[in-house]
Amino acid sequence: MASSAPPPALTLPPSQFARLQPHAYLLAHLSPPASSNQPSLRANGRQPAQFRPTSANTGSLTHTNGSAVVRVGDTTAVCGVRAELLPTSDIAAWSVSHASPDARKRQQSTTTTTTTTTKNDGTDADAAAEESQIQDLHLLVPNLSLSTGCAPGFVPGAPPSALAQSLSHQILGLLHSTRLVRAEDLRVWYQVPTFAGEEEMEVDADADAEGEGRKGKNDGKEIKAFWVLYIDVMIVSLAGNAFDAAWAAVLAALRDTRLPRAWWDADNEMVVCSEAVAEATRLSLRGLPVASSFCVFEADAAAGWRAVIVPDAAEEKMIEEDQRRGMQRRWVLADPDGYEEGLSQERVCLVVDKEMGKTVIVKMEKNGGWAVDGRELKQLVDIAAERWESVKQILELC
Amino acid sequence: MVAPSATLSVLNRADGSASYQCPSTGSNILGSVNAPVELPGRRDALKPEDATIEVFVKPGTAPAGVGERYVEGILKTMLGRVILGREKGYPRRGVVITLAIIGGESVGRGDPYLILLPALLHTALLALLSASVPLSMTFSATVLAVDESGQIRREPSAEDAATAQSIHVLAFSSKGHLLLNESQGSFDFDTWEKVRQRASAICHGTQLVSADGDIAMAEDVDGRPLEGTLRETVEDQVYRDYNWKINAA
Repeated sequence: MASSAPPPALTLPPSQFARLQPHAYLLAHLSPPASSNQPSLRANGRQPAQFRPTSANTGSLTHTNGSAVVRVGDTTAVCGVRAELLPTSDIAAWSVSHASPDARKRQQSTTTTTTTTTKNDGTDADAAAEESQIQDLHLLVPNLSLSTGCAPGFVPGAPPSALAQSLSHQILGLLHSTRLVRAEDLRVWYQVPTFAGEEEMEVDADADAEGEGRKGKNDGKEIKAFWVLYIDVMIVSLAGNAFDAAWAAVLAALRDTRLPRAWWDADNEMVVCSEAVAEATRLSLRGLPVASSFCVFEADAAAGWRAVIVPDAAEEKMIEEDQRRGMQRRWVLADPDGYEEGLSQERVCLVVDKEMGKTVIVKMEKNGGWAVDGRELKQLVDIAAERWESVKQILELC
Repeated sequence: MVAPSATLSVLNRADGSASYQCPSTGSNILGSVNAPVELPGRRDALKPEDATIEVFVKPGTAPAGVGERYVEGILKTMLGRVILGREKGYPRRGVVITLAIIGGESVGRGDPYLILLPALLHTALLALLSASVPLSMTFSATVLAVDESGQIRREPSAEDAATAQSIHVLAFSSKGHLLLNESQGSFDFDTWEKVRQRASAICHGTQLVSADGDIAMAEDVDGRPLEGTLRETVEDQVYRDYNWKINAA
């Protein structure tokens, strides 16, 4: 009979313990008792500064101009880039503000000569003004969707959550601030035939035509349309750290993007695209900014229910001293998964790039706590720089 | 450098409110706080032992969009660590903070809210103080722009920010911790450390620690530290509120 059997001893499998006492579970992994001789590892078996295995695959979607699937552990982001033409005739006030770029340029060159600034400065300012077209005309439209049933909390078909909206905004902000996409790649030029001298009709969207136009006389050269890139990211599976995966997917998809050759057909008065795949051009991106996120896990088990948490300088000193004696009280965890994200409040997000071996920080965010300061951030920048190398390899292989 | 000015308890119906003007960035923010309030519905979604913090940012001329969601997220995370949501009467209730941008440059699509962020933070803090919400600490924040020559500019206007190499928003707690850092643009770590030093001086004043451990407060180009300005605003308000009592005594 079942009743005669002795009741089983009260033991919990680790998975249940993890659900009941998440904080204690992770803490026990990170600071195992000295007698057990176990290394300090996270609950998912990673070192504190270790990222999850990352893989990327480009060109997965055939109906887009560029696409990528990036998988960071169990977080998977699919990104598709769709290019659409925006004729300048459809831009409100285009004829007023930009119709005569020659005139604008000429005016700028005269001002540069009169103010006796170097020509280099003038062209720089000019370039900056032209780059701002991406921002002014909204030529990059990223959108991130979490409503795919990617995690239990996200109902499919629901309106975009605050998290999805802020991630979209972060991607857009980063695209603008890094100036990743060149405005020149997105322009469709038309050389108005002069009929007087050389009757060569230059209708090209590539860079050397523009370079030539800028050097020599660029009379009669006008922009007829822009490419607008719709960058759609779907988080198919969410297990923490959505931003890193989403940004890597955007980056991989943009690297994969090919724009068909487009030109202005003066007879039909419309922009026509070439069907030939060989004529399609890739975007030439500026740099390769790579995102790496971190979270801070605090060992203070009481923090969950203690009423007043007022750290002061003395307490900080104590924590530091403990750290020196090998008793760590807080851990900065790289690439947190969903479980760790739920247990930490402080987040750090770093986006770094490398130019000629030198690490350049493109974005540095830290919020939600006071554990990370200058010294910790410096270490994190180094970790992020290492991460940059590995992500670069992954993106170059795919 | 013209110091920011603020008024507390400007709205009658809200539990607490503050209006804040920062002349150098041209921002003008009106904030209100209602706490603790019962939040409608979804009681199961609320944390049982903590207050739920809701932040709404309302731009002056347009409906709130994606950018506002992002700033609301930043403010919510930061204030969540400052507000003592476990005090009596707060768990399972809400702290609702509404910030309306009533003046200054409007923020375009995809533009970062960085220039406005310190003003939003200060308004939220003052409104929380006005509503007597228990806080573990106060804070002060500033925005700095670094231009191409490496010069650090305090509280840049929108045009300055557009041409800057990088923009940094830093918030320090009253105890000197770095609470928030939002940096954008390209820079290296040494630049950031200089920015951090300068920001700390703006918020707390320059602290010169002499050999015998004495701390001397020095006035520098940044004038009075922000922390003091905020403190004085609250002191003035308290003095005005208790005027009847102080004068009677």
